[in-house]
Formats: sequence, structure tokens, C-alpha cells
Amino acid sequence: MSDLELFDVETERGTFHLGPVRFEVPAGTATVLLGPSGAGKTTLLRAIAGFLPLTGGSVQLDGARVDEFPPERRRFGFVPPNLGLFPQRRVRQNVRYPLSLRGAPDAERKTEDWIGRFGLEALAERFPHELSSGQRQRVAMARALAAEPRALLWDEPLAALDVESRDTLVRLLRDLLETERLPLLLVTHDPTTAFALASRLVILHSGLVRADRTPEALARGPLDRFVARFLGFENLFAPAELATAREATLAPRLAASSGPGGLAVPPEAVLWRSGGDGPHRARVAALRWTAAGWVVALRHGSLTFHTLAPGAVPGCRVGDPVTIDVDPAVVKPLVGIPAEEER
Amino acid sequence: MNPTALASRTLAGVLSASLVGLFVLPIVALFFYAGGAGLSFAFENGGFRTALEFTLLASGLAVGVGLLTGVPLGYVLARYRFPGKGIVASIVTIPVVVPHLVVGIALLLLFAPNGPVGSFTASLGIPVFDAVGGVVLVMVYVGGSYVVLTSELAFRSVDEEVLEAARSLGAGPGEAFATVTLPAAARGILTGALLMWARGVSEVGGFLILAVAVYPSPPWGGPLTTTASVWIYGYWGIDRAAAAGASAILVLVALAIFLIVRLFDRTGLGWARGGWLP
Repeated sequence: MSDLELFDVETERGTFHLGPVRFEVPAGTATVLLGPSGAGKTTLLRAIAGFLPLTGGSVQLDGARVDEFPPERRRFGFVPPNLGLFPQRRVRQNVRYPLSLRGAPDAERKTEDWIGRFGLEALAERFPHELSSGQRQRVAMARALAAEPRALLWDEPLAALDVESRDTLVRLLRDLLETERLPLLLVTHDPTTAFALASRLVILHSGLVRADRTPEALARGPLDRFVARFLGFENLFAPAELATAREATLAPRLAASSGPGGLAVPPEAVLWRSGGDGPHRARVAALRWTAAGWVVALRHGSLTFHTLAPGAVPGCRVGDPVTIDVDPAVVKPLVGIPAEEER
Repeated sequence: MNPTALASRTLAGVLSASLVGLFVLPIVALFFYAGGAGLSFAFENGGFRTALEFTLLASGLAVGVGLLTGVPLGYVLARYRFPGKGIVASIVTIPVVVPHLVVGIALLLLFAPNGPVGSFTASLGIPVFDAVGGVVLVMVYVGGSYVVLTSELAFRSVDEEVLEAARSLGAGPGEAFATVTLPAAARGILTGALLMWARGVSEVGGFLILAVAVYPSPPWGGPLTTTASVWIYGYWGIDRAAAAGASAILVLVALAIFLIVRLFDRTGLGWARGGWLP
């Protein structure tokens, strides 16, 4: 049981500079690293694991520095984006690898134990290329845990999985966090995974921590454009977009509610009905079916609003005139991104 | 199938078949020309048998030297950046393009018995001119590139993430190389060794200049001999059926070694699938 702490960690990859980054991952909890592509998430994970040298700060496990050790002595269960499975080794040999390396006397038993915990018994004699994505993910996780790490660093472990496999692995991970009491630092682009697992969400942007909050605190705001997009807001309007909107009678009211970073309009804030006889007119621009129901895109001048239509049929067709309004109590003004973070 | 597709397939089939025919028919002609008499004469000829044994020993030695020096060079070229890397990579391909008679002349000029380099190697007990050292040297020169090039490709194909995973699982750099990199590259290295061996055995030009008549010294002690290819070249003017028979035997030996190596690749490389480290 140990806490993973980053103290003003800095590193470089080519011309990209990351940091200083400071946050903590307590034992038995998961912290999810979020951020757009190029924000530095993978760079940070590789620096913690020892594959990129730190140019500043320190990485500590239970108060002791580990960044002075080579990767093999840091004892991080590092799972890279493509999992890094050994292609010539069967599943059992992959899982046994770390145990064989250190000559563990009960390697056989521990190997079978991890194979069993991840439900890999029937796959133990297969090679990685004979497995599905989800099965390979389980092998990578079992192997990382067989090394008896002190912390877990997983880069997109649930990418490219179908919903069912992802949910199964999320349940497995939650159980593991409880039983193994390890700190888990996870990179993901998937909000569902992030909210299902994370005790804290750390948002990186341009190599710096933009936010370090609990999922609940993140959802309640204050929001900026990136966080709003991550949370699934589709109706994001920049201040300039509202100021220069054409033939959009709602624009002045929205501009008045806007924050420095613009305005997020949740789908439930968009009120509409058939018939273009109201004060604010729009047209149905597109319809698409999702698991949550029909998503209706409404074109109001130069602004487009996405909202949900309840029921099995949308009740409108593309091109239909509608009357639209926005509930000012539900809209969310967006904060701006500090200039020093936009480097 | 529409007529255009049928014509394309027919054309591709004819062109492919002509190349395959070109590969096979000369070998068939060789066996046909040699006949049973030529084969048995060559097989029973003590001079050819000695030359063949010497060729196998020398080529084995050359492949050993090639692996010892070529695999590390292939690894360095695949994994590291350094000034002049492009030049080194170009130098590696020189032996592939230099005519092999020229190789013999160049090596002779460098390793002439009365020259500084030749005298020095002779003083170390490794004479080159008309010696085992010369035969091995020519074989390493003409075939070493294959080991370097295939090793480089093989090492390059080993995923960096796989190595990083091994390191984070507790393997030091040496352990990661021995348990992950080398097994993953083994097949490529083996292919390079096989190509090098085949190239060395088939060489003639370099031997004719540098080491045409060899007195093998212990532990390869024996009578005056030469390589099998030079023996065949010399015998072609004396007894063509015997030369064809010896050539056919050389082809059979080459095929046998090729098959043995491929069999080893399928079974003996088990360690590459994890046997090395259970």
C-alpha cells in the first residue's frame, strides 16, 4: 500500500515541455489523466515510469523518491497504449514473465492465480495475436499485477473495446483497487470510464495541470471549453460566435449569459416545438438516432443547437420549421483558459 | 471473370512461371548432364570431398565471425542515432555491389603477405594469402552485409513498447535484450546467417585472387585444398561431367542445410517463444 506523489515534475520530449506537474494518487484510488491530444498525458506517464528523464521535480512512492532509479527498480505496473505484450510468448508465459525474472519460488502458483483472477484459463496457451482486444487487455493487466507493483500506470487500457468488455474491465479494476490497495494513474479519453473509476480527474493542457478535481466537482463547474466538451456538451458557443451571429434572435440573450470562455447550452436547456410561429424561429437541420434517443439539430440563424427528442419517433422531419427558446437557468457560462496555459 | 481480368491473370501467371522455370530448369539440367556417373565420380573424388569439407568448415567459421560482428552492428544501426550513421549504413551495403573479383584484388592489396597488414596478421598466426584466413575473410566480406541488414531489420521490428513493458516488469537492459529483443529478432538473424552462408559457399572470384590454393593448418590440417566452388571451376576444363556432378552435390548440400535451418527455425527456436525464460 503506497501513495504516488508527483512534486513539480518536469520533462521534455523534443520541443515539448511538460510541467511543473504536481498531484497525488492515494493508495486504493484511481486518478484519471484527461486532456486533448498532445497535452502531455503519455509523456507524463512515461516520465513517471522512468522512460523519459525528469528535468525537474520528483516522483515519490510513500514519501521515498523513485525517480533516481531505472525503470526496472521503480516497481510501477506500466501498461503502454498498445499493451506491450510479448508476441512470441503465450498468455501464461507473458503473465509468468515478471515472476520468472526475479526467480519467484511460487511463480507457478502466482501465475495461475492471476490467470484465474482475470478469467484467462481457457486462453493461457494462446499467443497474443490469437486474442481479441479485450482479452489482450486482460493479459496486460494480469501481467502488470503479477510483477507485484507498488503503483499502476495505465495508458488508454480500455481503448478500442466494445461497451460490454469495457464495463467488465472497469468492474475488474474497481475490485482490484479495493483488494490490492494500489494507486492507479490512468490515461483515457473515455468519459464513461473516467467517471466510473476516478476518485480524481486531472486535466492536462499544453503540458500543465488545468484542473485537479473530483468528478462531481468537475461536473458542477466552473467549466471551460475543453472540460465542457469532455463532459459531452455539444452546444458550445464562443463569445465571438454569439456576438457576430446572423439571423439569430436568441444571440443577444445568450451573449448576455456568456462567460469569458463562451457558453455551454445543455440539451435539456433547448426548448422547442413544431411550427415556426414563435418569436425565435429555427429549422430542423439534421436528425440522428443514438442510444439516448433522437438527437435533433436545430438551425437558428448561424447557430446550431443539438437537443433530444423523446420517444421512438422524432416528431419532425429535416427542414420543418420550429419555434425555439433556451432556458437561461440551465445554461452554463464557460471560464476562459489562462493565457500562461495556452503556450 | 471478365476478359480483361482473365488476360491479366494469364499474363501474371506466364511471367511468374517463366521466372520459376528459370530458377529450376538449370538445376534440372545440371543433374541431367552430370548423370549417375558424374555424381558418383565427384562423390568418390577425394580432392572434391576435401574441398567440400573445407568449404563447410570455412563457411561455418565465416558465419560465426559474421554473427559476432554483424548482429551488434545491426542492433546499433536499428536502435541508436549517431553522427555518420548514414555513412556507416551505406558502407555496409558496399560488398553487395562491388564485383567479387574486385573484392579479391582489394583484399589482396590490403593483406599482401609482404605488406604491413598481411605481415601483422601472419605474425598473429592468421595468414591470409592462400590460407584459411583468406577464405574466411572473403566469405565475411561478401556475405557479412546480409547479417547486418537482416539483423537491423529484425531489431527495428521489435516494438519499443514491448521493451518498455519488459523493463517496467523488472528486466534490466541486458535481461530485456536477452529475453525480449533477441528472441523477437532471432528469425531475422537466422535468415541473415543463412544468406551469408549461401553467399560464401557460392563465391569464386574473391578466392581465385586471394586464396586459391590453401594448406589448412591445424586444427583443419590436411592436404592442399581449395573451396568447392574453385574446385568445380578448375575441373570444368578437365571433366565437365565430373564438374557438373560436383556442382549437383553442392546444390544438394546447400538444400540440406537450408532444410535443417528451417527445421531448426520451427522447432529449435522454441526458446524464442519463451523457453529461455519460462
